[in-house]
Amino acid sequence: MTEKAIEKKKKNKYHKAKHFRRSTGDIIFDVINYTFYIAFTLTCIFPFYYLFINTISDNELVRKGQINFLPVGLNINNYLSLLQAKEVGQAFLVSAGRTLLGTALMVMASAFVGYLVTKQQMWHRKLWYRFLIITMYFNAGLIPWYLNMSMLGLTNTFWAYIIPGIVAPYNIILVKTYIESIPSELEESALIDGASTLVIFWKLIWPLSKPILATIAIFGAVGHWNSFQDSLILMQGAPSLYTLQHRLYLYLNQASNLAAMMNSGTSALSEVLQSSMLNTKVIKYTISMVSIIPILMVYPFMQKYFEKGIMMGAVKG
Amino acid sequence: MGEKEASKERIAGKLYYFSRVSALLSVVLMLFPGINPARICGYINKNMSLFTSGIAYSELVSECQRAFTKGWLQESSFRLLFASCLIICIGIVLTGICACMSLGNVKMKKAGNIFGITGGALELIGLIGIVISYCQVAATSKPEKVLPCFQGAGYGIFLVLALTGLTVAIVNQLLLRKITVEEKMEMDSKYKLFLMFLPFLAAAFVFSYLPLWGWRYAFFDYTSGSTLSMDKFVGFKWFTILFQNEATRQDIVRVLRNTLAMSGLGIATSWVAMAFAIFLSEIKCGPVRRFVQTFTTIPNFISWVLVYALALAIFSSDGFISSIMMQMGVWETGENLLMNPEHTWLKMLFWGMWKGVGWSAIIYIAGISGIDQQLYEAATVDGAGRFQKIWHVTVPGLIPTYMVLLLMSVAGILSNGMEQYLVFKNPINANAITVLDLYVYELGIGSGAIPLSTVVGMVKSLVSVALLFMANGISKLIRGESII
Repeated sequence: MTEKAIEKKKKNKYHKAKHFRRSTGDIIFDVINYTFYIAFTLTCIFPFYYLFINTISDNELVRKGQINFLPVGLNINNYLSLLQAKEVGQAFLVSAGRTLLGTALMVMASAFVGYLVTKQQMWHRKLWYRFLIITMYFNAGLIPWYLNMSMLGLTNTFWAYIIPGIVAPYNIILVKTYIESIPSELEESALIDGASTLVIFWKLIWPLSKPILATIAIFGAVGHWNSFQDSLILMQGAPSLYTLQHRLYLYLNQASNLAAMMNSGTSALSEVLQSSMLNTKVIKYTISMVSIIPILMVYPFMQKYFEKGIMMGAVKG
Repeated sequence: MGEKEASKERIAGKLYYFSRVSALLSVVLMLFPGINPARICGYINKNMSLFTSGIAYSELVSECQRAFTKGWLQESSFRLLFASCLIICIGIVLTGICACMSLGNVKMKKAGNIFGITGGALELIGLIGIVISYCQVAATSKPEKVLPCFQGAGYGIFLVLALTGLTVAIVNQLLLRKITVEEKMEMDSKYKLFLMFLPFLAAAFVFSYLPLWGWRYAFFDYTSGSTLSMDKFVGFKWFTILFQNEATRQDIVRVLRNTLAMSGLGIATSWVAMAFAIFLSEIKCGPVRRFVQTFTTIPNFISWVLVYALALAIFSSDGFISSIMMQMGVWETGENLLMNPEHTWLKMLFWGMWKGVGWSAIIYIAGISGIDQQLYEAATVDGAGRFQKIWHVTVPGLIPTYMVLLLMSVAGILSNGMEQYLVFKNPINANAITVLDLYVYELGIGSGAIPLSTVVGMVKSLVSVALLFMANGISKLIRGESII
């Protein structure tokens, strides 16, 4: 490298640096900005972390409130003993079952209906499509919905979780919009080859619309897993069908009732409750973790579908 | 000859309207408990529809066990009743198939008629079975306990529907011309597509439109478990009670204040998500930005119950803050911060934001990346600084999205959902936290005041729809685009 070239490079570097040199104001702004975002992110992470270290630490230390930042006495006994608790295992199976079955049926129905409503030649297509979409914008209210479900004999049955969710207008709009963006030549050529509607759907549309189907599947699954209101209202007579969220809610309430009693109660009572507190605290933390872990496990896969998912609100019928 | 055939086919086509309507009515009506012809004695639940009676024997006899053991009723007559209901249900399904197939060509119509005839016949057999089991039940030794009754109206309706279906199918089978073996079953693709769509439309009808039928409870004096009859019709009594009864009125005012305050706070701070996105995009270090985005979005995907679980872990008397404070010697005993009656609205806003802001920001982040980079370059050339670029380029680029979301949230001002408030509710903050949705739940499911809670829910639904249309109208006016 010649002297001149080095000189030139130095000069360039200098120019570049000058171009990007930041004012003091900029630096202060950046410091505040970074600090704020990192602090906020930590408040989002910390509760999860705190819960987690308390479930894997020594229960005696947890009871004394000494596990705050780092786990001590690592063990997974809480999880193992929780698996043996019948109520929790049952609730976990109900939640997992409704998530798998409910999501699978919803995705298939949305894909099929989304495809059907793109067919211009359907008898009164527009009317029926509106009939379906309008249901997004009104609802009769909680009590009529509940009475309707009990009239249909769905209360206290597992199917109450599955069947009402199969037809999801939002997702149908999403699929429809997506299918409309697939070049129509593909379908036309399949038609010329003599393929029927069902064959075209299964062999062509289904594979081509996988990205959007993955999106609705993931959001549908999270919705099913988190669902709590339907269990609360429809399963009043069937505790064996409570979802995990519902179980957790009941445990949390028990624990906070205990806490309230302790604050107001006599010392003798407090003593007794203090020892049972150990169990409730650890149990509620562990069940919370069991409910969170599946979400955290699918979360990395979800991220690439975020944008499509949030656009849900922005698409139109 | 050809003309005669054609006119016959036209008549058949007209007749099919009757069978289609009767099939549709049968399918819908078999879901209504009020006209269940199978309710032949007081032991059968009043909320059982014909459909439920036909598919769930255990529910049919759920209240009869004592009568069976005492010998007031024979189990065989209930087996007969169940079988009859099942047969009727199958018959109705077959009539439905006939109605669907009547949309095809002649060959398909004729095949469909076979279903129609079979279905109609099955329905009649089932209806006869119900009469027989009624006669057996009526012969009970304890009529004052068993209360045999015959649902004349419901029975008549199903009888007429069955006869209509059966007659039309037979007549049309005779009317339509003979078909040759080579002919193929065909249907116009517009009907085929419609029939494929039909099951989903039916599901939407059953789960979204049928609940509207429940609005009638608003006009009756109804307590859970009883039946609706015209002598319990009370007109607008519950509507007036809502405003005249002092206690209820106070409740409503309080609940509305909570609802509007919390929704209002949500709307007033809805720009925060936009600000969050804008300043996040000012972080030029890619990994940090991704880290922030990844972890601030997680809370959106956990349920409110779990948010509450996390809140307890941090703020309750044996949670993180209490144990830190106790170890530092500031507090002597743990304090449950969630049991604090102050600033409930703001706290709820805080939890809503903690859960949602990262997620709501995503749409704005997508919006920012969609803004033309040349605008920024031009602004730089013009000497704009960082904040000027934000204010004059980024914000105007995001305002359209913001407006849509704002209008949507104004339309949803009454619907803030009940889960968040249900889980965070405790005796201490109950007054400030009960929103409309939660109030309806507590009134209807908790206290069993079904008519009153239906009235509240009904008014809420109507106002919400009106608000939605208003928001849509405003959007059309200022943006020239509708939001629904």
